Amino acid sequence: MRPVAISVDPPEVSRNLANKSGYTFPILSDPDAAVIRRYHILQPAGSPDEHDIARPAEFLVDSSKTVRWCNFTEDIRVRARADEMLAAARQLR
Amino acid sequence: MFGIAALTCNGAFFVNAPLQRLFPWLSLLLAIVALSFLVVGARLLIVHPNVYRGRMLSVVLTVIALLPAGLSVFGFVTTRKLPSAAAAPQVGQQVPDFTLSDTSGKPVSLDQLLAASPASTTQSQASAPKAVLLIFYRGYW
Repeated sequence: MRPVAISVDPPEVSRNLANKSGYTFPILSDPDAAVIRRYHILQPAGSPDEHDIARPAEFLVDSSKTVRWCNFTEDIRVRARADEMLAAARQLR
Repeated sequence: MFGIAALTCNGAFFVNAPLQRLFPWLSLLLAIVALSFLVVGARLLIVHPNVYRGRMLSVVLTVIALLPAGLSVFGFVTTRKLPSAAAAPQVGQQVPDFTLSDTSGKPVSLDQLLAASPASTTQSQASAPKAVLLIFYRGYW
């Protein structure tokens, strides 16, 4: 399973985050929130400076691009935990 | 005291605890308990003004108690202000394709991510992954 993180942060910001935290998985930038919009998970004016951002969402997508597991939190303080996501990935055969 | 406990509960989100889901409610509950104690205290002060002297101290303590309790309630409301994800792709549905820039500015597509070791990743994953976990986050880190 390959984790991929996506946000509206520009590549430079994500690069800093990856360097600082030692992340080796891909972090992609969607500055205009175009993809976020297409996934219907836009939070209009959700950022501190009122830009459109993504509401937190996780999708486990198989090779046929079909969602096998997904999670949409109701509280930004509660996110999918690593063990939940790993358990979902382990169920794939 | 309960107000501070309510606020501490918010700090607990950074701990990857299995009971994480309960913390927002616990935080709200503690804030409500703190506020009820405040109401009881205020009533005692009005009913027996002679017994409970030291008004300055009570005012200071009230402010100290109100702050964390108020912050907890405020936090509870604001962190739950999220749009519905009802229209988002659900289990069994296909997700839309995309091509986005990675941290070095190189475009990466969903197809590439599903294929064996995309050139852009530093991960040395020889075979194609069984799945890709797309994690959309708020950003502004």
